Amino acid sequence: MTQRERNWLLLAPAAAWFFVMLILPLSFVFVFSFGERGDAGGYVPAFTFEQYANLPARFAAFKNTLILAPLGTLAAMLIAYPLAYQLAVRTDPKWRLILLVLVIVPFWTSILIRSYAWLFILGGQGIPRLLDFIGIEDVRLIYTPFAVLIGIIYGYLPLMVFPIYVALDRLDKRLLEASADLGARPMTTFFRVTLPMSIPGMATGCMLVFILLMGEFLIPALLGGGKVFFVGNALVDLFLQSRNWAFGSAVAMMLIVVMLVTVTVYMRLIARLNTQRDDDVALM
Amino acid sequence: MMQEKVPGGTQEAEGDASMPVAELRSVSKSFGSVLAARDLNLSIRQGEFLSFLGPSGCGKTTALRMLAGFETPTEGEVRIAGEVVNDLPSFRRPVNMVFQSYALFPHLTVAQNIAYGLQQQRPRPTREEVSAKVSEALETVRLAGFEGRRIWEMSGGQQQRVALARAIVNRPRLLLLDEPLAALDRKLRKEMQIELQDLQRSLGITFVLVTHDQEEALSLSDRICVMRGGRIVQIGSPRELYDEPASKYVADFVGTSNFFEGSIASKDGEQAVLKLADGQTMAGTCAPGLSVGDKACVSLRPEQIALENAASDGAHPVTVLNRIFLGEHTEYLVSSETLGNVIVLAPRQAERAGTSYNKGDKAWITWREDAARILLSEQ
Repeated sequence: MTQRERNWLLLAPAAAWFFVMLILPLSFVFVFSFGERGDAGGYVPAFTFEQYANLPARFAAFKNTLILAPLGTLAAMLIAYPLAYQLAVRTDPKWRLILLVLVIVPFWTSILIRSYAWLFILGGQGIPRLLDFIGIEDVRLIYTPFAVLIGIIYGYLPLMVFPIYVALDRLDKRLLEASADLGARPMTTFFRVTLPMSIPGMATGCMLVFILLMGEFLIPALLGGGKVFFVGNALVDLFLQSRNWAFGSAVAMMLIVVMLVTVTVYMRLIARLNTQRDDDVALM
Repeated sequence: MMQEKVPGGTQEAEGDASMPVAELRSVSKSFGSVLAARDLNLSIRQGEFLSFLGPSGCGKTTALRMLAGFETPTEGEVRIAGEVVNDLPSFRRPVNMVFQSYALFPHLTVAQNIAYGLQQQRPRPTREEVSAKVSEALETVRLAGFEGRRIWEMSGGQQQRVALARAIVNRPRLLLLDEPLAALDRKLRKEMQIELQDLQRSLGITFVLVTHDQEEALSLSDRICVMRGGRIVQIGSPRELYDEPASKYVADFVGTSNFFEGSIASKDGEQAVLKLADGQTMAGTCAPGLSVGDKACVSLRPEQIALENAASDGAHPVTVLNRIFLGEHTEYLVSSETLGNVIVLAPRQAERAGTSYNKGDKAWITWREDAARILLSEQ
């Protein structure tokens, strides 16, 4: 067997998996998206662009997803960065492992149960009641974009912490000494050495969280209560409730297109940021 | 308090020539229960090339890091230009360091790395001033035209030069070098040693080098500070350390030597007689601080022993065990019934004169009495 044949053989399981579980179903969805809904739901073969023409009917779902997913990603990053920094740079190594484990402890419980907890915390008997007690009345938290955002940040924070932690942990601490040695104050060292060197970690964390958030449906379902819904919720609704597979497929295809476009733009931006940093910013 | 780092040139002019540029006064440093530096006292002179020499763990790097401001002494004072700087953070010290692994910023270009220190100065120099100084520094380290290169595109030797340029461009009062040549191959290291020395002379900046390589310390330094177990064991010029080592440790670490153990039988001023274990005696110059009865040894440098083909008064008969050709010299390992194995370094002329020896040959060794130094033995 040649090296080439061996390589193919090793790749075969993954290739087969991707074909059966991704390419094939995706092809079905693609074909379905040009079909029509049967009288009793499901799918009737056809070739029409009607489903795509109908997409504006789900505009709100796309709008919510495209606002809350980036916002949630950004908020998670802003919260995760100082935490990851503290863990990687400032924490005594003997405590580091324990604290890292604490970051992932929430993953030991199902996201469903954890989101349910927020339902009660943000619900009428939770924080609003406490606020009412100190005189701030009629605060509504549950089933608002804010509630969904809280749920998102809570659920996805660990995913953001780890890549940033790894980037900061790998950062050669002698570079920080070199910066101080050259006369840079701690703040300057942070912005000119630490931060630029941790961009790859931040980019990875954001990408990971953002892509998962684009497909999120559980958190908006529980904490958005039908008022704040994502594309994921629209899909669940179309496939399982109204059984409109053709339209559901069109929405799914649209989500894929939106994701491809945003991720491509995002990656371009990151690449740009890296080169720009070298050419312009640093000599300022 | 000290001022912030100011642009170069003015500082040297301000400095009083008689005032040491930096001082360690009774400085100790402990990490937890480990004493890394004990009672260091050292005065670094303006414009000199000083080396901290010792094996790993001897405290030389700790001493350097206390000068840089990366470590705070547990006891004692670190002074720079007369001011106590114990609590002055490194970014306020007029000191720059060349790190062992260079610690160049990988996300910046060569020019940006070198400009980094200049950009921290207040008032902030203009873009033109910065790029002029960067170009000048690159020329100094013979890397003109490499401004736009990335760090990873440079070889180890080139990175070394960038690290050097990044430090000297700031015209520090004190340039600290932490084993800067350790990662280079032998030939490149030799080249860089010469360049370092030229650079130090042309810039007039005080250099403080940390090294475990005695040859490097001997060839570069005006003065060497030999360290061991956190202490300074001897400070002196390379010649002083080589010719007048204060202890067996220094004689052994700086250069090669033959040692004959015994105890001091008699002493008259600087002259003393050592009695060896088998009862024979050897005379020599005695290091200060030794008295009759002390356990001591005679140290004889290999090049101070002569190998002869005829017996003479006081010569020791030996058998040649091995012969290594070293170019200018030939190193012989000879064995004496009374002294054990002895290393002798014979100059090329001796061979030309026809006195060459082969394995198994009989010969005699002699030395001048004043070449023998009597030193304190190690515990």
